[in-house]
Amino acid sequence: MTKPVKIGVAVALLLLSLLLPYLFSSMLIRHFIVLIAINIVLVMGLDIVVGHLGLISLGHAGFMGIGAYACAISVMNHDAPFLLGLLLAVLCAGLAGFIVGYPSINLRGHYFVIVTFISGIIFNLFFTNLISITKGPMGMPGIPPPSIGFGDRFSIVVDSKVSYYYLVWVFIVIVGFVKIRFNHSKIGRAMSAIREDEDLARSIGVRVHFYKVLGFVFSTAIAGLSGGLYAHYFRFIGPDSFTLFQSFNAFVMNLVGGMGTVAGPIIGPALLTLIDEVFQLFKPEYARILFGVFLILIILYMPKGIAGLVKERMGGRTWSQKKAVS
Amino acid sequence: MLAQVFLNALFLSSIYCLMALGLTIILGVMDIADFAQAGLYMLGAYVAFFVCQVLGAGFLVAVLIAMIATGVVGVVNNTLVYQPVLKRGANTLIAALGILLIIQNLALLIFGPDYQTYHLAFGEGKIELFGGTITVYKTMIIVVTALLAPAVWLFLSKTKIGKAIRAVSQDKEGASLVGISGDKVSIFTFCLGTMFSGLSGAFLSPIYAFDAFFGSQFIVKSLTIVIFGGLGSLRGAVVGALIIGIGEDMIAGYWSTEYSSLLTFVLLILILFVRPQGIFGRRPA
Repeated sequence: MTKPVKIGVAVALLLLSLLLPYLFSSMLIRHFIVLIAINIVLVMGLDIVVGHLGLISLGHAGFMGIGAYACAISVMNHDAPFLLGLLLAVLCAGLAGFIVGYPSINLRGHYFVIVTFISGIIFNLFFTNLISITKGPMGMPGIPPPSIGFGDRFSIVVDSKVSYYYLVWVFIVIVGFVKIRFNHSKIGRAMSAIREDEDLARSIGVRVHFYKVLGFVFSTAIAGLSGGLYAHYFRFIGPDSFTLFQSFNAFVMNLVGGMGTVAGPIIGPALLTLIDEVFQLFKPEYARILFGVFLILIILYMPKGIAGLVKERMGGRTWSQKKAVS
Repeated sequence: MLAQVFLNALFLSSIYCLMALGLTIILGVMDIADFAQAGLYMLGAYVAFFVCQVLGAGFLVAVLIAMIATGVVGVVNNTLVYQPVLKRGANTLIAALGILLIIQNLALLIFGPDYQTYHLAFGEGKIELFGGTITVYKTMIIVVTALLAPAVWLFLSKTKIGKAIRAVSQDKEGASLVGISGDKVSIFTFCLGTMFSGLSGAFLSPIYAFDAFFGSQFIVKSLTIVIFGGLGSLRGAVVGALIIGIGEDMIAGYWSTEYSSLLTFVLLILILFVRPQGIFGRRPA
């Protein structure tokens, strides 16, 4: 595709996404759409680690939870405005990402994944056991809907599903734009170099550890953002909202959608959230068994995910193919 | 108090040790982080429960059947999933997660969401040791582990099969050059490793209430122990299990049970800063 066509398609998709909640009048479907949107933010963040750095993180639900608790606590207990709470969520999750990532990100083989996996579980233990702060397994009910603006008089309260969708939409567009520009920036190119060959990247002077930690912190910070959005949408958070299974889920979504692409983290959550939520209505176990089967089949037969497959079919070349040609 | 805490800790360490041995054998030889063993702990517990309670057989028979069942599932996982994934050069860890999802949710479908508990007819008696008491059952587990850990070491270092396994773990191509079949070794390793997970699950079942997600809390501990001790190191698994088991019980006994799991995290971060390859680990080439 040429550049003008690409921009045209992008604008058309953006407009369509703006109209999306009005295409369905059912509350349930609108609820799914908001849920998908929040998951898209999470998976876009995760994709920086998985797609751009070529690592795996299985603890992102933990970072999401840190963001959710940070945002909910600062808004409920300390009367912070919503956007400040969201900022705190991003900072706290980013800080946690730094603490976990700094010592462990250069570990090779299975080490790093195991570390993220364990830290996700440990964060969940914190949520359950720091009862004085998080209210433990009871969870935190009654989180107010976000109000954006100054004071009571000049602020918008985002309390309907449609308006919440637009709130999340703004963040998706921001994160998505950053991701599109990523490949054209110094940071993005450094990360691609690290993913393709770490030793080679180091030998030509790329600060490997710095960029890896940067990517991981950025990714966890976005997970924190999605956590803040999650908390104020559901208005209830508990340790059960941020379990290992949610981390798996995010990862499967990323894998199914396609790693390292912009479309992948949108397709994956849209498809799998829908499957998961529809099965929740009767028997969630089947959906999870299906996820497990998906996971194995995709790494065997479709490692680039749906977005990668579409790209190949449409004649566009993926990064590694470009490398092979040149 | 100290003796009591120590005795409990010894029991906990034994269970952790069995779990970590199963993981570390597979990790060391096949380079597969077999997360799916979380499902096998659960499977071992359920099989032991059914053989004991529903069929009314003795506990030792139940443990043996649990080991065989998990061994079979482990070998099936290996041939159906891990080997094709390895051949395509894909990530085995993701495959392991897929298997775990499938096993846990199948169990949830079959056994339902309720916790199971049962009591054994034997092992209720108590032994007095250094001022603390411990049940006969827990003592038995400690003794079995204390015998099994050196037995595995002897097996790997002295027997022909053990030597073949170690040869494959050191150099797969070199081993195949001298006529060791990588496929056979992989099947055998998986059988051995997953039997340990079945054993530990079965041992835990009369003491802990278990459900379909029973293994998840333990896999975290055993993975930490394996990292702490060094991937693939048997000594590391034993020492790591002792440190984490005793440390956890000390914290639970003297400070707070809520933070006992925190030790796992602190130790993990600490070891990664100081010695990322683990206490007994080889420095990665």
